Amino acid sequence: MINKKVCMLGAFSVGKTSLVSQFVHSVFSDRYLSTVGVKISKKEIMTCGKEINLLLWDMEGKDAYVDINTSYLRGAMGFFVVADGTRKETLDIALELREIAFKYLGKPLPNKLLINKADIRNKWEITPEMLEGLREKRIDFFCTSAKSGDTVDDAFKSLTEEMLQEQNSAK
Amino acid sequence: MTTELPVSEQAPVKESGILVEDSGVTEVSATERIDAHLANDNVAENAAVVSEDEAFWKSIPEAPTDKEVKLLRSLLFSREIAIIEKLRSSYTNAQYNAKKVGNILAEAILLRSKSDNGLNVALESVVDNILQSSLQKRKTEFVDVLYPLMGPTIRKSIAESFRSMMADFGKSMEMAFSWKGLRWRLEALRTGKTFSEVVLLHTLEYRVEQVFFIHSDTGLLLSYLINEEINAKGEGGDTNDAGMLSGMLTAIQDFVRDCFKGGDVESMQMGECTIYIKKSRLAYLACVVRGIPPVGLQRKLEEILEMLLIEYADELNDFCGDTAPFADAARLLETCMLSHYQREGRQVHPFWGKWVPYALALSFCIGLGVVYYGHAANIGAHREAIAVLRAEPGLMIVHVQEESGIFDRSPWKVIAFHDEFARMPADILTANGMDAALFSFNLVPFISHDRSVVLRRAEKSFSLPETVSMSLDNGLLTFKGTAPMAWILHTREAAMLLPGVKQVDMRGLRDPLAEEIARRVKIVEGVTVRFPAGGDMPITSDQPHLNNAMDALVELERLTRKMGIVVSLTIYGHADATGTAKRNYEISQARAHTVASMLYARGSGMPISIYGMGSQYPSDEKTGEYEQEKTMRQAPYGDDLASRRIEFRVHLTSQPTITTERLLSQ
Repeated sequence: MINKKVCMLGAFSVGKTSLVSQFVHSVFSDRYLSTVGVKISKKEIMTCGKEINLLLWDMEGKDAYVDINTSYLRGAMGFFVVADGTRKETLDIALELREIAFKYLGKPLPNKLLINKADIRNKWEITPEMLEGLREKRIDFFCTSAKSGDTVDDAFKSLTEEMLQEQNSAK
Repeated sequence: MTTELPVSEQAPVKESGILVEDSGVTEVSATERIDAHLANDNVAENAAVVSEDEAFWKSIPEAPTDKEVKLLRSLLFSREIAIIEKLRSSYTNAQYNAKKVGNILAEAILLRSKSDNGLNVALESVVDNILQSSLQKRKTEFVDVLYPLMGPTIRKSIAESFRSMMADFGKSMEMAFSWKGLRWRLEALRTGKTFSEVVLLHTLEYRVEQVFFIHSDTGLLLSYLINEEINAKGEGGDTNDAGMLSGMLTAIQDFVRDCFKGGDVESMQMGECTIYIKKSRLAYLACVVRGIPPVGLQRKLEEILEMLLIEYADELNDFCGDTAPFADAARLLETCMLSHYQREGRQVHPFWGKWVPYALALSFCIGLGVVYYGHAANIGAHREAIAVLRAEPGLMIVHVQEESGIFDRSPWKVIAFHDEFARMPADILTANGMDAALFSFNLVPFISHDRSVVLRRAEKSFSLPETVSMSLDNGLLTFKGTAPMAWILHTREAAMLLPGVKQVDMRGLRDPLAEEIARRVKIVEGVTVRFPAGGDMPITSDQPHLNNAMDALVELERLTRKMGIVVSLTIYGHADATGTAKRNYEISQARAHTVASMLYARGSGMPISIYGMGSQYPSDEKTGEYEQEKTMRQAPYGDDLASRRIEFRVHLTSQPTITTERLLSQ
């Protein structure tokens, strides 16, 4: 069995917990998020013929007053940064968190940007030009919907594959 | 889809006990709003407000008396004036106010008690006074009310105490007389702990329920073990949950460390359960224990963690999420769980429960007797052997270290001085039918002056011939028998140097060959060969004596050659007093020379010295033969025939030089 520690980062109220709670097996109450600052859930994935356990560290959302607890990033093998499509400032926070994670972990680990709430695309503040800008910066992103489940599995699978490649290349 | 709703769409919120809704949604009259406002204040504040309001009313100037103005005011503000008047009358009406306050008092108290404890502080002294006053006035009523409650409570408490005391007494009796108690007492005796410590150790019940082996950095579960009983009951969750638990456990430790800036969390207490955490840089062990575990458990955890770290050092350093290499780690975790798992007491058949302890006690006593007898016999055998060893010449026992343990059968250590010519201790014991393995010897060399050891040393040192016997008495070494002269001479020198020998007596020793030599020397030296006056050839009658002497010399030369002795001869020639001294000297030398030539002519090779002594040493012998001859033949060879002679002296030389006298003295 291969286990991978994956962190979920993002601004406050972008839907990290919704993504996690809808698609993974969780035993802990969401109350941990506001007390300990992290909640751990598990997502099992079959990819490349292997069964992989993703231990998802859903970290408390960042806003103007609350910084993330970087010590929870220690030992992470990959991470998601989540943004809310309807609030363009959350994309900036997501990219900032991505840089913080790189700096803390000391290397560019496999990561994916999830731009959530794809089911209400008409209310998005994030424009196609902004997405084009992300592509130009070679940032992998997925437009997901915790409500409909669109592309969430693909995102998990893509990150897992990248982590396995990383593991193999490390060997 | 996010579940958060906009604030505008959220349900109305009940705040401070009053419904607050957006304006326009519900019509509320001005009066009701004022009432609501009044209700929002607490009672104390209301009292202050009333007095302030009265001053307010008084400060308002009286209405103008002008009729037109009054009319105008009544036309314009008739409705408001009516409302104000109504409010004024109600506000100053105490009964009305009490009613209003009474309506909201309960909610007000509830609200205030939720927000802080100000109400408790305000009412504390009031309630105390009321209770005291009430108890003093109505004691009987209080006793009547409390009796039904207090009676059963007290009875229950006394019964519980009595039961506990009886249980303790029963347990003490059991501890004092049961087999278990006896066993624990023995254990206390053996381990040096107090009996109460041993009892405490055994009666503490605990159970290691779950053990997690977790990677420190990632918080990922490497290996996990759960008590079978817990697993069967489904109380510990499944392994999948253990993965998340280990993550959460790691997160909580990070959280605590970040919050309090301290060291690592070592344990977490939750009711009956405790999580013990033993941490290292790479991985840590978390052990869920129900009850109070012994101190040894934590040490055991540390040991297991160390073993895991050693066994999986490379895997932990290169850990990238694959837990397959840690599959065998459960084997080590299992030792941790099983070694401290306390089983429930077994049900024992009453017969066995009653008689087995006695049987075991009897067996123990018999066994103890056997062991003690064996121990005593063992010590006896050792001491007997020591006595034998002490009596042995050439062996001096200095120190014996006794191993006196009942179960200790290791050999006693013996330190002793030992002469190389004495018997070895093991040989002595074997010769006496004893077990040589009873001892381990540390032998220090020394030289013994004991009689038998000195004799043995002499035997070995001198290569004693069979024909010689030896005895030692007060340091005097006496030899008897026959032996070659060379051996005798060598031994005489060496024997004086032998430790333990003060004097040597070899008079009892003789050499047959030496005796033969001595005899022949005596023959040679006893011969006197006479010469006629003026002649250098022996007289006819002495010729056979000369021949005998020469034969003896040739034989002597042969014998001495065998012994490595060199024989040499001196011949002294003599003359009588007749004639000149010069002539006498010449004739005496000629006589000695003649005899030497005759000896060489017989084949002798010995060195011969000749000396002409002249007439200096006339013979004082008056042999019967000479007298007879003088009488019979009227001195045909002159008057002093005895002085005209030669004499032999034999010299035996060896290394060391042996003189004839010395040889003869043997």
